[in-house]
Amino acid sequence: MLSSVLLVGVLGLAACDSEETKVEAPKPEVVAPAKLDIAALQSAAENVALVPSPAEMQRALERNGIAGGLSGMVSERTLKMDIENKDVIAVRTGVALADALLTVKDAPPEKLKTRLETVKAGMAALGGGADIAATIDDINARIVNNSVSRDDLIKELDEMHGAIIPEIKFEAGERAVPLLQAGSWLEGSNLVAGAIIAANSTTAGTELLRQPQVADYFMKYVAVEGGGKAPDEVLAQLQTTLTRLKELASQPTLSLDDVKEVKSQTDAVLALL
Amino acid sequence: MIAALLFAALTPTAMADENAAEACLKTKIWEGYNTGWAVRTATNATLGQGEHRIYLVTLYAGTEYKIMVCGDDKLQNGDIVLYDSLGNELMKDAQDNREPVINYKASTTDTFYIAVHATRTVDPKAKAGVATAVTYK
Repeated sequence: MLSSVLLVGVLGLAACDSEETKVEAPKPEVVAPAKLDIAALQSAAENVALVPSPAEMQRALERNGIAGGLSGMVSERTLKMDIENKDVIAVRTGVALADALLTVKDAPPEKLKTRLETVKAGMAALGGGADIAATIDDINARIVNNSVSRDDLIKELDEMHGAIIPEIKFEAGERAVPLLQAGSWLEGSNLVAGAIIAANSTTAGTELLRQPQVADYFMKYVAVEGGGKAPDEVLAQLQTTLTRLKELASQPTLSLDDVKEVKSQTDAVLALL
Repeated sequence: MIAALLFAALTPTAMADENAAEACLKTKIWEGYNTGWAVRTATNATLGQGEHRIYLVTLYAGTEYKIMVCGDDKLQNGDIVLYDSLGNELMKDAQDNREPVINYKASTTDTFYIAVHATRTVDPKAKAGVATAVTYK
């Protein structure tokens, strides 16, 4: 029986070869993606793509007709990374990265290099590994040698912010990435609010600052754990600020007064850094 | 011969390769820079047939967004579906391949859900590396 079956099979194959018949493989069944309801979406949603980058904020600002951009509004600040609190280091590193991103187009080489050195120091303090340090060193060398165009630098820093840093496993723990993002977002929101106020725009606040889910996402990480430990001043203020930003952003529209409050709330955190 | 067959049977038929998916996506991201696109986020996942990942995103009104997916060679058809904050389906890609793309411009600044599906893999047990990027212009 078995030999008969094998014989038929062999003969069948031989026939196919001799006639050079092209037999199309059966097409695989097309399966439609599963339908998802809101409960399924909410329960499984990841926040890795939730937060707009500072560069994206800048473009959205320009799209709303607010000229000048954010680069001229970035203030000089010294962000120290030789402190114990890793959460605060992460927030500071995010601010420094936002400042570098927003000024990469026209900052003098030495100033840009200093900002990136600050980012590098923050990454090192968070245990970001040797690769990111080497990447920043390489970028800085090319800035100093003037061997990279500013347009290419924008791409490299943009990719570092959006694609490389979120994938780093920091020794400081899983909180490092969202807190770093919080720093960048806070700095970007502060500058956006300042630009809206300067332009006296009554409509841009709704388009640019209404992001309650982003504030909510950061609040989960900023919530200071108890255990009798006094909360860090920066994190305590950050929690207060995010709580208020969420309330403001949850409204259907943001007035110019709301935008002014966004500015003062974010100023309060940045002043402590 | 038997040993070879046994080895083949015991070897996972489909090892997901997130690196291959990521390399494909990086190429697309860098090509996008030449035409004015920039990247918000890029992330990787390993998905079996019928599995999906969901990403919450904030999209600015008036900004053009391009959501791109690259699957490794274990993925035959990947799909992207965009939902609004209430769970209403807004759009999905119409391609039957492992590199789906959708473009979207929001009329109001809001949060949205992006579902990335490994709709069909080379065999039902295969695990595919899937890389996703949210880019904007």
